[in-house]
Amino acid sequence: MKRRTERYWTITWRQFQKRKIAVIGLVLVAVLMLVAILAPLLANDRPIIMRYQDRYYFPAAIDYAQFRNVEFDKVVAKFEKSDFAMFPPVRYTPTQYNLTDRLQGPGRKHLLGTDDRGRDILTRMIYGTRVSLSVGFVAVGIYIAIGTVFGAIAGYYSGKIDIVLSRILEIVLCFPTFFLIIAVIAFLPPSIYNIMVVIGITGWTGVARLVRGEFLRLKSQDFVTAARALGANEFRIIFWHTLRNALGPVFVSATFGVAGAILTESALSFLGFGVPPPTPSWGDILAQSRQYVEFAWWLAVFPGAAIFITITAYNLVGEGLRDAIDPRLRQ
Amino acid sequence: MVCAQSETEVRAGEQCAVKVYITRRLLLVIPTLLGISAVTFVIIQLAPGNPAAMALRLGPEGVRSDAIAQEIVEQTKRLYGLDKPIHVQYALWLKRLVTLNFGTSYKDHRNVLEKIVERLPISLQLEIISIFLVYLIAIPIGVYSSTHQNSFWDNGITVFLFILYSLPSFWVATLLIMFLGGGDFWNVFPIYGLISDNYAHLTLWGKIGDRLWHLVLPITCLTYSGLASISRFGRVGMLEAIRQDYIRTARAKGLTEKVVIFKHAFRNSLIPIVTLLAALLPAMLGGSVIVESIFSIPGMGKLAFECILARDYPVIMGITTISALLTLIGILLADLCYALVDPRISLE
Amino acid sequence: MASSKVLSNIPCLLFLGAILIATVIGCGRQTSQNPQTPTSTASKDAASESVDGDWLIRNMPAEPKTLNPVTARDLYEVVVNRNVYEALLRRNNETLELEAELAESYIISDDHLTYTFKLKQGVKFHDGAPMTARDVAFTFERIKDPKVDAAHLRNYFRDIDRVEVIDDYTVRFVCTQPYWKALEVVGTFAIMPQHIFERGDFNSHPNDRHPVGTGPYKFVKWDTGRKIVLERNENYWGKRCHLDRVVFKIVTEDTVALQLFKRGELDLLGLSPEQWVRQAGSPEFEQRARKLTYYLPSFNYIGWNMRRPYFQDKRVRRALTELVDRETILQKLLYGLGKIVTGDWYINGPIYDHAIQPWPYNVAEAERLLNESGWVDHDGDGIRDKDGVPFSFEFLIVPGSTFSDQLATILQEDLKKVGIRMTIRPLEWATFEQQVQDRKFDAVAMGWSLDVEGDPFQLWHSSQAEKGSNYVGFVNAEADEIIEKGRREFDAEKRRTMYRRLHTILHEEQPYTFMFCPQALVVVDRRFENVKVYPLGLDPKEWYVPKAKQKYGRESNVP
Repeated sequence: MKRRTERYWTITWRQFQKRKIAVIGLVLVAVLMLVAILAPLLANDRPIIMRYQDRYYFPAAIDYAQFRNVEFDKVVAKFEKSDFAMFPPVRYTPTQYNLTDRLQGPGRKHLLGTDDRGRDILTRMIYGTRVSLSVGFVAVGIYIAIGTVFGAIAGYYSGKIDIVLSRILEIVLCFPTFFLIIAVIAFLPPSIYNIMVVIGITGWTGVARLVRGEFLRLKSQDFVTAARALGANEFRIIFWHTLRNALGPVFVSATFGVAGAILTESALSFLGFGVPPPTPSWGDILAQSRQYVEFAWWLAVFPGAAIFITITAYNLVGEGLRDAIDPRLRQ
Repeated sequence: MVCAQSETEVRAGEQCAVKVYITRRLLLVIPTLLGISAVTFVIIQLAPGNPAAMALRLGPEGVRSDAIAQEIVEQTKRLYGLDKPIHVQYALWLKRLVTLNFGTSYKDHRNVLEKIVERLPISLQLEIISIFLVYLIAIPIGVYSSTHQNSFWDNGITVFLFILYSLPSFWVATLLIMFLGGGDFWNVFPIYGLISDNYAHLTLWGKIGDRLWHLVLPITCLTYSGLASISRFGRVGMLEAIRQDYIRTARAKGLTEKVVIFKHAFRNSLIPIVTLLAALLPAMLGGSVIVESIFSIPGMGKLAFECILARDYPVIMGITTISALLTLIGILLADLCYALVDPRISLE
Repeated sequence: MASSKVLSNIPCLLFLGAILIATVIGCGRQTSQNPQTPTSTASKDAASESVDGDWLIRNMPAEPKTLNPVTARDLYEVVVNRNVYEALLRRNNETLELEAELAESYIISDDHLTYTFKLKQGVKFHDGAPMTARDVAFTFERIKDPKVDAAHLRNYFRDIDRVEVIDDYTVRFVCTQPYWKALEVVGTFAIMPQHIFERGDFNSHPNDRHPVGTGPYKFVKWDTGRKIVLERNENYWGKRCHLDRVVFKIVTEDTVALQLFKRGELDLLGLSPEQWVRQAGSPEFEQRARKLTYYLPSFNYIGWNMRRPYFQDKRVRRALTELVDRETILQKLLYGLGKIVTGDWYINGPIYDHAIQPWPYNVAEAERLLNESGWVDHDGDGIRDKDGVPFSFEFLIVPGSTFSDQLATILQEDLKKVGIRMTIRPLEWATFEQQVQDRKFDAVAMGWSLDVEGDPFQLWHSSQAEKGSNYVGFVNAEADEIIEKGRREFDAEKRRTMYRRLHTILHEEQPYTFMFCPQALVVVDRRFENVKVYPLGLDPKEWYVPKAKQKYGRESNVP
């Protein structure tokens, strides 16, 4: 049994690799994840590695008591011959502000410009990747998980089970999500993840209906009858055979779900329910852009471009996965 | 098992099944609505901030408020009926609902139903036109994409649509207003409301034209982001459909590609699209808040948003109930369409 | 932002300021005997002959919920109703003193408990019915009626017990305690017609959407969500206004509003500092529009909850004030369009003590004060502490208010450098209010809008600390004494001197870090003449447009 599973995933991986563009998507996603994880080493006003007075320090990663609230330029000025410091490529922190430099366009000092408080946009975009990526995964992860299972059962069994499940689905669909968000914000400590969990828990209805629709279509098909004839148990039929064929819309939904989650985060930031300040996020920069839209194009174009790259990457990976899993596409 | 039956008998049997199905579904709407309204009623009381206390804070002098004697809060609470226990309040609400009385708004004491009916047609107008346009444009794109998979045009259009999708609607709306709405640049489209100030003086054709002219910018904002998702769903549906065995059979039978695609594959690709149709209505209602605000269109999205912030419970309940009803009907229609679209799906 | 509730932030205040044009009702300073003359006499200040005609199309950032002056709770209703309804007294545009409007004269009893007004005769409501003392009494009784949804207004009338109708044109108010503001309270509520509002449910009356008053303009129509239209009252008892119509266009988005103004579809609009500087500076714009500014009676501040261990010592509060670089923030974020304030009185009012200088931005001094009060980093974790409590607090803001957001992030960064940890918590308005009301906050960024001459009781008296507007919990014996004595002090100069002492106390104690009084930034189409800027704003009732420049005829097609 174990050998068969291994072979299955190896096959899938090989299929996946065959579509070059899907691999590119995967690489992009990996790059985004790296950026998110390594953010403090990419954009910081402290050096990544520093040799000072014969000792090595890593101020970007570790918080040393003697270097707290110290301006490293002053430390560098006191360097001896053998001392050195390697700074990250972008020399700003996401909360560092400068009112004199506010609302400047892209230029030498700030590659992507500054926001209305003089904070560097490139830095905030780098750190913002953390929020945007995880927001997508959390919300979408939850609702794909719930929705797929729900829709599969409802669509496969039909009859009374479908009637009850569909009614539950309708109740959740018509639910005033926004109210729940307000309640959650009021009671729980400020965190975008709480909101995303709420969105996940209330947003699975779309996926559920899609999957249900697919199952209604698929269950009367031959391969299901064949599987039954072969004596496969119900569970395997549902979640292995049928689901694999129903995944097409699920992947599309997931892709747009992630982009949607990021845009929802932006709308929520705009209304004030997004990430608590000063946490940077693409959505937060976008929300700010509205006030200055007449001239500060950089506040919208760059996060917009980042969102575009993200959804394209996820979309390519999603389509690649779907094509790889679908047995009919095997070459 | 299908016994030999005459065609009329089969047809009659089918129609009967459909009627039964519809009746059953319509009856099921009632418990569902009860569930929705009960859950909503409880949840809105959960959120902190109660309308009685809020009413006091905004005096005519603005934010500065006076000592809030507890008794004054209680007075207002009694006025609104908020001092009773929650299940009693809900029961009272249900009782009034039977006579289609949704109560009066806490904010301005107007009849809730009147407020909703004032705005509902406007929002519906926007949404229906927008949905129609989205489908009109996106489905052909989706079909084209699937038949010319990975061609230059397919990739190009995909990229373009994704770019559109990545742009938030408030940004696009503001840009459109700036560049096409007069003031600084071109003055092509009106940017305020749905009709001009001199609407009453126009001829019939003038009126129609005026309305259409006002709709261009808001509809564009509501439509463009849906294009990407619907066309991708259409594409995926078609790709699935094309790979089915019966398509191979059709091709083997020698049917032209056009017939194969449009007559056979297309119908079966519509399942995900039909599903989405039902969910689009509530989604649009929420999403139109921004467009309605920016273009000063007095629609329901804006009303709903403002009422939630103001904790105007009667109006929130009214809006939730009515939009839930519309959504449920939409879902019913979608489920009926499944059977229409794919004959293998039977109504049970 | 669509929500009209967030009144505690600068952009909103600026709009409101522009809207809060003329707290003064008055088409002139006529004495009561003159019957209204249909032909207008040129106002003394007009250079050329005034002319009747044309319309004023004004922006309104949110729709009022109702036009019933008693049950209404937002400022937008006031802006409309200042033209439609009138009161016994009004404030003079220039001197800001109370003067007669519907009242011809008044007498205050020596014990300051009885206020007797003689009403003008021959004043008619817009439907032709005469205004009498019974209408005054009726309105007063509606305000006091607990079944009427007017608790916010009722609060002001707590000391005023009852009203007596002496005859058709004489009315008397009787108070239970002497209070220097009682005259203002009884003199400035809008008089509503009894014969219309006595029938039906006062809380949801059809005339809530069709006001009937005695003012210079009468109501024409209200297109829900679009506009409210007023038309000149040809039978007005007082000085006739020149503009035929006033139209309030409801435009919630400031970007859209400015575009409409540039297209010529709006004549009067309030701008944000950003728009003022960046989009209203071109020569073409200046050709078309007059740019006017004045100071709003309002201010914003940071409130420190004095019940918290960190904020109990006044040295700490002073240190915090010195850590906020108010001057730079004013210059950079608001383009200098405002003024730093040091107390909660109207900056152009009679009480504000301009001699008091705001504490300067001084990080070194702040650190010294913090050290002196015992807040030092004892455990080496980078955060100051005292008695085991770290100096770490939560700052509450209302989102959608960019200024609060900007202020919060700036403050957070600056406080980090001196070893104070601050987290920011944005809460939606209703929740925010609840928290503040329940005193569940550490620090909060808010604003107040002010009376011309305010009574500090609500904000600073110790009795209001747990159950009133004294959210920060300011308790000071000397302040209490001043406040209590002040309420009974009818000699204006004496009272103002007492309040100035309170101003000094507040400056030393710093229960708030007072921030700014913002400037209202208003643009008006140049075709309007006689546009004067008064301390509290503009008075469009005085304006006119020369015949040649008039845009809208009496029954015109609005383009």
